[in-house]
Amino acid sequence: MAKDVRARVGVGVVAVGATALIGAVLLWWGGYDPQVAAGAMFRGSFGSWNTFASITLVRSVPLILTGLAVSLAFRAGVWNIGAEGQLYAGAIAAVWVGLRGATLPALILVPAVLMAATLGGAAWAMVPALMRLRLGIGEVITTILMNFVGIYLAAYMVHGPLQESRGVFPQTDRLVEAARLPILVPSTRLHLGFALALLLAAGLAVLLRRSTFGFQLRAVGASPEAARVAGRIRTGRVVLASFLVSGGIAGIAGGVEISGLTYALYEGLSPGWGYTAIAVALLGALDPIGVVVAGVFFGALQAGAGAMQREAGVPAAWVGVVEASVILTVLALARLRAVGRRGGS
Amino acid sequence: MNRPSRFLSILASVVAVGCSGGDSEVDVALRAALLTSGPVSDAGWYAGAYDGLKLIESFLGAQVSHQQTRTPAEFDEAFLAYAADGYDLIFAHGFEYQDAAIRAGELFPNTTIIVSGGGRVAANVVPLIFRLEEGSYLAGMAAAGLSRTGIVGMVGGVAIPPAQGTFRAFEAGARAIDPEVRVLETFTGDWNDVAAAKEATVAQINRGADVIIHNVDAASFGVFQAVRESVAAGRTTWALGMNSDQNDVAPDVIVGSAVIRIPEAFVAVALAWQEGDVGGEAIYAGSNQQVVDFVINPALAHVVPLDLLERIDLSRTQIRSGELVVPRVAFVEGEVGVR
Repeated sequence: MAKDVRARVGVGVVAVGATALIGAVLLWWGGYDPQVAAGAMFRGSFGSWNTFASITLVRSVPLILTGLAVSLAFRAGVWNIGAEGQLYAGAIAAVWVGLRGATLPALILVPAVLMAATLGGAAWAMVPALMRLRLGIGEVITTILMNFVGIYLAAYMVHGPLQESRGVFPQTDRLVEAARLPILVPSTRLHLGFALALLLAAGLAVLLRRSTFGFQLRAVGASPEAARVAGRIRTGRVVLASFLVSGGIAGIAGGVEISGLTYALYEGLSPGWGYTAIAVALLGALDPIGVVVAGVFFGALQAGAGAMQREAGVPAAWVGVVEASVILTVLALARLRAVGRRGGS
Repeated sequence: MNRPSRFLSILASVVAVGCSGGDSEVDVALRAALLTSGPVSDAGWYAGAYDGLKLIESFLGAQVSHQQTRTPAEFDEAFLAYAADGYDLIFAHGFEYQDAAIRAGELFPNTTIIVSGGGRVAANVVPLIFRLEEGSYLAGMAAAGLSRTGIVGMVGGVAIPPAQGTFRAFEAGARAIDPEVRVLETFTGDWNDVAAAKEATVAQINRGADVIIHNVDAASFGVFQAVRESVAAGRTTWALGMNSDQNDVAPDVIVGSAVIRIPEAFVAVALAWQEGDVGGEAIYAGSNQQVVDFVINPALAHVVPLDLLERIDLSRTQIRSGELVVPRVAFVEGEVGVR
């Protein structure tokens, strides 16, 4: 167990180090001063308590939530690449309930908004889940396709049924105060969604390690056939449940973004969190606590990237390259570790 | 009405001096930032804004910075980061920034935010409205004058009021030349979908349109390509550019472009801000400040009849003097007919 933790931390440290090195080389190659850029990156992510709370942690919320969604699914052997679409489904459901229930008190409306987001995300995951279980269609393709449907459904909603009552711009009306998540730390932008993400991570950690369902989920993920034959586990049910819980958590990410930050639904709500989530999940070694750490790391990376643009004049495209290099580094290291372990036993 | 007129006179002087700069004596250390939600390498809307920022840097000796933002959450973050850093003036180049601008404006009363095409107004949140419809009206005149079939087409991206406004004006301009003209209109729902814009253009050409204008961003290549293919198939077909001077993009088919001179407008706004004349109400920049115009492609000037050119010039003068009022679709808070 201790060895495992050490290995995980090792992977993370090596990935961060390798990424920093690759990043510095890329910056130098692009004609930017890596030291100035690194300084901007640090100030923009950890420079002050307010920066850390208002930018890094705020950015980490959707990354942690979608990262949890992806890691849970992957643990069950469900290749849910559809967190992006599930996030949008959750956001649409959340804003719909938030606008419809505008007269309700916050104590009822906020939970209703989050519940709607969960159900929206789960409903979005239901389609590929049933297609896999009933028709045997691999979920990698179907979840990706459902992403596009989700993104375009959100676009349709803000141009059509959910467009602001002025009917001018492609966005919804703004949520009333009672539908908004409270601020967690006064005089920062950090909202309750962060606490929610931490609670969910802790809950999932317990679920995975201590509960029967967690055991079944891991067994199915390790080998569905063995789980069915030797463990008498009804694998179909486990797969369906993992899919729905994963989709529900990704849906919460969308709902939290709406009710915690933007207070309205817009096109382009997500810059691809559902995809970055895969990197977050892998960097976190598919472990809920690891995902929290990885989510904060990616949040800091993105926050720092913004500061790099502002202070060091580094173009936005660069951060895309850095993120891609992190994903590649992590994948390579995770693979190397797996191969090494198999060879050693 | 004092403010807009001061703004107009400043703007006129900027346009008159042009981009040469040099004799600027302003020593106030202005700090100006630009936010775009697309790359400034687009040779159009965002590139114009970036050129404007650079012009503010060279013309006013300002310290400038730019950030490309993707999501509404990032909009808030960028506003807060710039405002907390003491930036005086933030240009947010698109209506999508308006809600975040209002939120940031409340927190940082000493920072002024200019929202291009925005609809929401506060003491320090100011929409900058380009009256592109004034250029589009002149383009409509050119279209109707050039058309042999009596049918002209408009291919749009997303049907938001500013875009609809340019098309209403185009239609009005066309009718001023030919009251019987038929005007086709298609919105593809996407500013950058080249294939959809091309398809819509082909459909309009097949319905008889022989002059096509667009109001899309990167998708304009699809419009021009469809017109080129129609010409290759032996039909006389023309295209018109929009937003920036696109005459060079397809010099063989684009007769002229309705343009916005964003850089000059940005500098004028910065100057007016230094004079204390920016705040509390929208800034309108149109053809009487020469920010908006219709520019004939020199390579195709010979296909435009002389009397048509004269009528276009006359209308341009009348628009500038206020004698001719071009139809537009109002969308700024407080404007007539807008909540």
